[in-house]
Amino acid sequence: MGESSEDIDQMFSTLLGEMDLLTQSLGVDTLPPPDPKPPRAEFNYSVGFKDLNESLNALEDQDLDALMADLVADISEAEQRTIQAQKESSQNQHHSASLQASNFSDAAPLGYGTNVAAIGISQYEEDLPPPPADPVLDLPLPPPPPDPLSQEEKEAQAKADKIKLALEKLKEAKVKKLVVKVHMNDNSTKSLMVDERQLARDVLDNLFEKTHCDYNVNWCLYEIYPELQIERFFEDHENVVEVLSDWTRDTENKVLFLEKEEKYAVFKNPQNFYLDNRGKKESKETSEKMNAKNKESLLEESFCGTSVIVPELEGALYLKEDGKKSWKRRYFLLRASGIYYVPKGKTKTSRDLACFIQFENVNIYYGTQHKMKYKAPTDYCFVLKHPQIQKESQYIKYLCCDDARTLNQWVMGIRIAKYGKTLYDNYQRAVAKAGLASRWTNLGTVNAAAPAQPAQPSTGPKTGTPQPNGQMPQAAHSVSAVLQEAQTHAETWKDKKPALGNHQQPGTPRAPQAPKSSLPPPPPVRRSSDTSGSPATTPKVKGTGGGGFLAPPVDFLPPPPPPPPVDDPELPPPPPDFMEPPPDFVPPPPPSCAGTAGSELPPPPQPPVLAPDSTRPSPAVAKRPPMPPKRQENPAPPGGAGGGEQDFMSDLMKALQKKRGNVS
Amino acid sequence: MAGMKTASGDYIDSSWELRVFVGEEDPEAESVTLRVTGESHIGGVLLKIVEKINRKQDWSDHAIWWEQKRQWLLQTHWTLDKYGILADARLFFGPQHRPVILRLPNRRALRLRASFSQPLFQAVAAICRLLSIRHPEELSLLRAPEKKEKKKKEKEPEEEVYDLSKVVLAGGVAPALFRGMPAHFSDSAQTEACYHMLSRPQPPPEPLLLQRLLRPSSLSDKTQLHSRWLDSSRCLMQQGVKAGDMLWLRFKYYSFFDLDPKTDPVRLTQLYEQARWDLLLEEIDCTEEEMMVFAALQVPGRAFQSGGYLQGSPPAGTDPGLDDLDAALSNLEVKLEGSAPTDVLDSLTTIPELKDHLRIFRPRKLTLKGYRQHWVVFKETTLSYYKNQDEAPGDPIQQLNLKGCEVVPDVNVSGQKFCIKLLVPSPEGMSEIYLRCQDEQQYAHWMAGCRLASKGRTMADSSYASEVQAILAFLSLQRTGGGGPGNHPQGPDASTEGLNPYGLVAPRFQRKFKAKQLTPRILEAHQNVAQLSLTEAQLRFIQAWQSLPDFGISYVMVRFKGSRKDEILGIANNRLIRIDLAVGDVVKTWRFSNMRQWNVNWDIRQVAIEFDEHINVAFSCVSASCRIVHEYIGGYIFLSTRERARGEELDEDLFLQLTGGHEAF
Repeated sequence: MGESSEDIDQMFSTLLGEMDLLTQSLGVDTLPPPDPKPPRAEFNYSVGFKDLNESLNALEDQDLDALMADLVADISEAEQRTIQAQKESSQNQHHSASLQASNFSDAAPLGYGTNVAAIGISQYEEDLPPPPADPVLDLPLPPPPPDPLSQEEKEAQAKADKIKLALEKLKEAKVKKLVVKVHMNDNSTKSLMVDERQLARDVLDNLFEKTHCDYNVNWCLYEIYPELQIERFFEDHENVVEVLSDWTRDTENKVLFLEKEEKYAVFKNPQNFYLDNRGKKESKETSEKMNAKNKESLLEESFCGTSVIVPELEGALYLKEDGKKSWKRRYFLLRASGIYYVPKGKTKTSRDLACFIQFENVNIYYGTQHKMKYKAPTDYCFVLKHPQIQKESQYIKYLCCDDARTLNQWVMGIRIAKYGKTLYDNYQRAVAKAGLASRWTNLGTVNAAAPAQPAQPSTGPKTGTPQPNGQMPQAAHSVSAVLQEAQTHAETWKDKKPALGNHQQPGTPRAPQAPKSSLPPPPPVRRSSDTSGSPATTPKVKGTGGGGFLAPPVDFLPPPPPPPPVDDPELPPPPPDFMEPPPDFVPPPPPSCAGTAGSELPPPPQPPVLAPDSTRPSPAVAKRPPMPPKRQENPAPPGGAGGGEQDFMSDLMKALQKKRGNVS
Repeated sequence: MAGMKTASGDYIDSSWELRVFVGEEDPEAESVTLRVTGESHIGGVLLKIVEKINRKQDWSDHAIWWEQKRQWLLQTHWTLDKYGILADARLFFGPQHRPVILRLPNRRALRLRASFSQPLFQAVAAICRLLSIRHPEELSLLRAPEKKEKKKKEKEPEEEVYDLSKVVLAGGVAPALFRGMPAHFSDSAQTEACYHMLSRPQPPPEPLLLQRLLRPSSLSDKTQLHSRWLDSSRCLMQQGVKAGDMLWLRFKYYSFFDLDPKTDPVRLTQLYEQARWDLLLEEIDCTEEEMMVFAALQVPGRAFQSGGYLQGSPPAGTDPGLDDLDAALSNLEVKLEGSAPTDVLDSLTTIPELKDHLRIFRPRKLTLKGYRQHWVVFKETTLSYYKNQDEAPGDPIQQLNLKGCEVVPDVNVSGQKFCIKLLVPSPEGMSEIYLRCQDEQQYAHWMAGCRLASKGRTMADSSYASEVQAILAFLSLQRTGGGGPGNHPQGPDASTEGLNPYGLVAPRFQRKFKAKQLTPRILEAHQNVAQLSLTEAQLRFIQAWQSLPDFGISYVMVRFKGSRKDEILGIANNRLIRIDLAVGDVVKTWRFSNMRQWNVNWDIRQVAIEFDEHINVAFSCVSASCRIVHEYIGGYIFLSTRERARGEELDEDLFLQLTGGHEAF
């Protein structure tokens, strides 16, 4: 404890010093005033419980421990701050245990009488007291000067931005957390804490830990709206808390943890989605015959180009008319920019199409039993709605397909159009996570090269995620910019992991990677530039990373201090690590508890010896296609070109085929 | 030595006289006559020619062209016998590099010297090196379309021809960067301008010009273009191209490897231009919604601020419209509650608010109420409105959190209508609300706030100011250029006049919409791209283009074996598509990955392809020669063998192997 608070102390002071410096250079000698208001009114609540007590009771011991550790850390951190900064007061939470207790009981009555779900507000982080009476604060921000900034102004602006960044880090000290009840396949439930920076992927990893399931890629978080009878899986990159905050308080919605083959079906059998709609009979034959190599190249072609290819989908679907229970059959087409339909009397050429919906602001859901509920022609329905809409509304679009195959194609197609390359990245991360090495090893030599793609940091950031066409660039409302950043941080962490792994540093979830562009912080402050880890959150990181739940229940220790800053700017580029078995965000347990926790842990990470270094290079080389056979002197005389050419061409083609075969 | 003779003057060796014309294929050209034998080497002949001409000049680029055989005599160690040259051969001693005028993907003309003696593949590679376009294998040259004789000579404005014919590249070395451009461009102001032309997008074309240019009206029209491709394995000379001819440089294979805006601005820009013209000339179809996005991407907001957009447009300061803007903006600072930014830190931690009188309209069933004045406060991401200012401290009539909402501009600049339509989601559904602003400034600020709020950001976000700027810039363009095509001035200055929305969309949308209807549509699409830089917008444009279902299909009219009617064969980078000529429906698709072999029977001009599972396809080519189809297929196979790891060097032999094979023909 002492060690960690010292650590925090040191970091915080460095940070403050840094800010001070910046402030002075701006000619302002006051400390930056703390943010006058908390970002949101409510900080913490739980999902899926009648009240908070229930939710707390439901937490397993270790979770509670982790929670306590967080709280204690909060307090100590607050104390640290008081010592450090004289002016600040509002930002830090001077909780006392009793205060929290009262908060909890206050929150309890908020629970609703429904049997499954209710959201109680469990504020273990207190609402902030009003901001200090600082007159300066009351001045609203005047609009920035409209004319182009001069050089000095730009510099000033840059500095200001940095300060702002630092302040944001401070703000992050207060991380919203939810206690979420997740329903399992066997009707049991698990409760876990989800913090607002966690993505569905993190939560899944967390659940893997808890359930000891096989780390199949099919596992997903699944949200169900009993009232609307719709459901969908969380995409791995989605922010869980953000999605859940769209639920109303009295919601009956549930979060499930289950296996769904549909989740990544396209990556397992791309031919069913990409090569389907021409000649049903034949395609079925080919789809059975499609070998791994061809699948691989099809996927590469569809997802790894400059832009993602959305499967060509078209056909008649039933559309529920607004506010009525009648269904109208229309001819719909899927394009990267949205769903279109063919207006009456028009052809299906691009110029005649009418836009039905674009995907920017809607999520896609499966409809269940809509035949009963809405008199749908079949039960193969899908629904498009804005994530915030929770009740019946004319803004919800219901569509109905003839069969399950069509339904799956449309849902997958829409997801590809909406999420683009992210979907593929998610999949590859899931594969890596699952350690499904078998899938790749079966493929022989290609195995190293193909999955290496997600780990190529150079291609991703450089070109950016290819946007599906027509989808306008936007920070998807479900994932705020910060979260995306956090995500990329998570990625970098993942990439770094093999390298860091050699140091055998347990308890270092998400080692923050200082972006070179921002403040080059001194070692302890290193994490100040990381969005996901601010000095104040140090203790929490453990909880958020998922590792927190593994915190040994016995000794209650805060996580070990961050690893000594290995000279990470100089880290060699991470080797592509698809084989990497250890969970990405769950660090190996601290040595102290290895003995006790070992039994319930997933297979221990493979020793670093297996790390890709040794195996990687050769397959990568093998992937390079050998030169096609050189052509011999063209012997074909003008007249007899036919025969001679044919031989040559077929030879060449065969050679090419063979070469491709070798490749994969 | 050739030319030994007796005292009487009779030649006693087997030498004979060879006449060589000096210069390009011009029968009037001066000629020299040499005495040679069959054993004379070409190199020796060259030397003799130069001696005979006896003129001081750099002859190093010259070589002998054999007119009858349509062949360059480039093997200097070969003898005349080996080439089979006799005294009757018509030989021309001329330069291997000759000027041509290239029509670039951005439709600008550029004069440069191209190799007339190397296979086209190499010649294009050299051109691309000069223009600093990477991956030349994706490009090729086409013959310019034949000009139709016009009845009345329209006075076509002399177009500017950029000139790079004087520029010589040092061989082998990758051109170094100098002052932000490859060094060979920075020699003179002229070449510098040329580089800017290459690397920056061109202003939108004249709507009238767009209407006048030929557009394909059917699939068979789209096949025309592809009949003009030159042959990659033969040189320009062999294909009858003359010095000074106009050729088109275009991206031929739609498989763009490793697009990197940082390393190849020219390539990106030219690709963008080709995509843009494809869309504007309706070579590729898209939907209305997609067109609006394309239109908006042509005018990314930030481009105006950086001044890098319109070539030759006056700097912002001289534009009266922008001056007005500045003035109005500084006024607005006062209008927005608060004082000048005295304390930077303060401005960082305080989230700015907007408060003003706005007219609000909430459409409801069975209501006749129109816009009503309210006191509106916009704080963080929340919009609250009150009956009047005095009630502001109390409870608002309504409060809306704009996070995740849809923001739709409803603007008519000439009609001074500045409305913002908001579709605000709530658990119960979406609620619709209209805000009507008084003027552009007010609109721009509220609009920018709404947009940020819909993404969950506040006006404290650093992008707020530039967002406001982008909106204003776009509006000001509308104001100056918003008229129809009729009132739009013609001439080269037109681009500085402002933006005509008709120049951004394909002509069929010109017919469909009035300019003032088009503007808000583009504006709506524009809101999502306002923050993009020029390069980002270009890349986005290309990506959107690539995502169109019909992207990258080259059409050729063919007749399948056993079929009685012409059909269209579409060739894409991964597949062949059989398309019904009349309806345009896809009949069948074959993927290259299933292809076993393809052959061309040059005699009967038939292409035969075998796919897996013994599927055989054969067709003869109608609109283009089967060489072009063959080259397309081979080219795509070649491109699919490229690997990231292989780096820069190009396996030219393989390319020629895959696409050649018809020299004999």
